[in-house]
Amino acid sequence: MPDDTEGINREVQGDVGIEPAHATPATSDPHYAKHSGASEARAIATAIAGWLIPGMGHALLKMWGRAVTVLLTVAFLVYLGAGMRGNLFSPGGDDAFARLGYAADIGTGSLYYLARALESTGPDVSHADGDYGTRFLATAGVLNLLAALHAYEAARRRKA
Amino acid sequence: MTIAMQPLQLSHFQSLLLFALIISLAFGTLGRRQPIERLKYAAWSFAMFVLIAIALGWLMYPFSR
Repeated sequence: MPDDTEGINREVQGDVGIEPAHATPATSDPHYAKHSGASEARAIATAIAGWLIPGMGHALLKMWGRAVTVLLTVAFLVYLGAGMRGNLFSPGGDDAFARLGYAADIGTGSLYYLARALESTGPDVSHADGDYGTRFLATAGVLNLLAALHAYEAARRRKA
Repeated sequence: MTIAMQPLQLSHFQSLLLFALIISLAFGTLGRRQPIERLKYAAWSFAMFVLIAIALGWLMYPFSR
């Protein structure tokens, strides 16, 4: 797999108009505050893009290897979970478990609706397959949230 | 919109292996920067997933009947 840190390294070196990570923050400087705010907004936008479309956050940072891996792993987990007829939770669940399940499932972003479309026959958790499928779907969501958080941290140059 | 899809039939062990493989790949890619480090971390993570799952399975075996 290629080393995909080129994009973030270029950013850290500061050729996109943002101070490098090791620069001493001049908090009294209004230019610093302006750049810092823009950088934070861009990091949040990167995280949201990564949540909505798995891998997009890393793709925006030109971390291609990570983008492709996140997309493929999350999509494959969703495919397996839906294929095993796992339970895809809906909003407004009756209890805390249903609400937590929905929070995990919606972590896949747009793939939540793909899973809905794939599960044309509905969930079947009366067998072990369906139960495992529920875990696969939830894991896909949590993994995508983790990747979005990673992209956010990378955009803020805290991690690469 | 619905997409016709055949239900997948996987054994417990196949599910375990697939889960461990996919998550290990993601962990390796997100957690390390260099390709060789990623491979090592993914392999280590995969081995730990499988071995710990089997160990837990054997630990629970006396209570399963």
